[in-house]
Amino acid sequence: MAKTIMIVDDSASLRQVVGISLRSAGYDVLEGADGADALKKLTGQKVHLIISDVNMPNMDGISLVKEIKKLPAYKFTPIVMLTTESADAKKSEGQAAGAKAWMLKPFNPPQLLAVVQKLVLP
Amino acid sequence: MSSPSNPPSSTTAHAFAARLQRWESTAFACVAGGAACTASLGAATAVAAAVLVVAGVVLDRMRRARDARAAAACAAFLASTDRVGHDVLPVWAAHIESSREQMESAVAALTQRFGGIVARLDQTTRAASQDGEQGLATAFAHSRQELQAILDSLKEAMASNEAMNAEVQNLGRFAAELQQMAAEVADIAQQTNLLAINAAIEAAHAGAEGRGFGVLAQEVRKLSALSGATGQRMADKVAVIGEAIRAARDAAQASARREAASALASEETINGVLERLRGVTESIEASATVLKQENAGIQVEIVESLVQLQFQDRVSQRMAHVRHNIGRLPELLARSRRCFDESGTLAPVDAQELLDELEGSYAMADERVTHAEQGAVVADAAPADAGLEEVTFF
Repeated sequence: MAKTIMIVDDSASLRQVVGISLRSAGYDVLEGADGADALKKLTGQKVHLIISDVNMPNMDGISLVKEIKKLPAYKFTPIVMLTTESADAKKSEGQAAGAKAWMLKPFNPPQLLAVVQKLVLP
Repeated sequence: MSSPSNPPSSTTAHAFAARLQRWESTAFACVAGGAACTASLGAATAVAAAVLVVAGVVLDRMRRARDARAAAACAAFLASTDRVGHDVLPVWAAHIESSREQMESAVAALTQRFGGIVARLDQTTRAASQDGEQGLATAFAHSRQELQAILDSLKEAMASNEAMNAEVQNLGRFAAELQQMAAEVADIAQQTNLLAINAAIEAAHAGAEGRGFGVLAQEVRKLSALSGATGQRMADKVAVIGEAIRAARDAAQASARREAASALASEETINGVLERLRGVTESIEASATVLKQENAGIQVEIVESLVQLQFQDRVSQRMAHVRHNIGRLPELLARSRRCFDESGTLAPVDAQELLDELEGSYAMADERVTHAEQGAVVADAAPADAGLEEVTFF
């Protein structure tokens, strides 16, 4: 059975690009337009990995990671930050919140897949 | 980093005020000078002094009028910059936002199309793999099996024909034996006839006493003649049967030869058909392989182009940051105007505040580079794939 990955980004085109890369590798993909939307959509789902932007309206990526870590069902779900944000201070915030990896945009699809394969839950 | 400089309007106002001050002191100097002359020269010069006083008053009024005009000019200038802030900058910001949204929706639609193409290529490749190569190979094997079965049944029919042929050959041998037996019957009849003739002669020699015996000999002769005739008929019939058997054998042999030739031709035809089918199958398989490779190649190309499509996200962020910064300017211009309205002092617009806010909003390294260099050239120098290969695992 295909594993499900959620991509959270306020840019529809970026969600599409990530979606294409993941679907072509056989993953099912869920999309969230921002942190709040993602939290709503996670309920009742089985998601094996979450990819999230950092700077988003409604709820930013770092707050999303903190909220996800409070959910018993997603406590151990790996989260990859995929962002244009390159400041070390932000990276440290992401790490402290519980993210597993920090990847800079623009991303290379094969490289994203390699990161996903390395971290995705069995 | 550039330090904020006083706006030109402010500089002009200061210079203007300084000039006014110079005129004022000159006028007062004249009035003072006039008074001194009055004291020393007496009443004769009183008129001149009065004129000077009047002149001082006139100059003072002129100064006040210029002050008022300068203040009005400052107020008008600040009102105009305030209008720029309220009327022009929102239009600029709206254009930037509208462009950003249009670009976002266009790139999203483009990406969706790419997604559709990738999915369809994937389906095509899978379908070709399942129905194409395996399907063709199976169909070929099946066809060969069925045609082989037809060949086998032809060969079986030939074998049973040969068995029948052998039986007919056996019948021919039996007919020859029957022919021989018919000849023997005729021979026995002939010998019996000779015996009967001899018996008749002996009966004649015996005279009256041998008459009865002569009658018997006569009957035996008749019987031998009948036996001979029967033997002859048997021989005739057996000859007819033998002829029929030979004809049947010849016909069976001819038929077997024709069948063998036909089976051989069928086998050759079937092999030819299979060979052509194999050729077609192989060429279809080769085409399918090329198609699959092409599909895979196109998929790779599209996936690589996805990297380039992400420029939209970066451009969109930059535009949002600039739009937000432009959105802050009207407030600063209004603040400057309010300050003048309330206290009559000219407060400079704090460019540094704007720059600091803009810098604080940056997320991308190349934004910071552009800001630091303050040059549009650097934006071009920042590669579209800046950030590639950068992954940090925690």
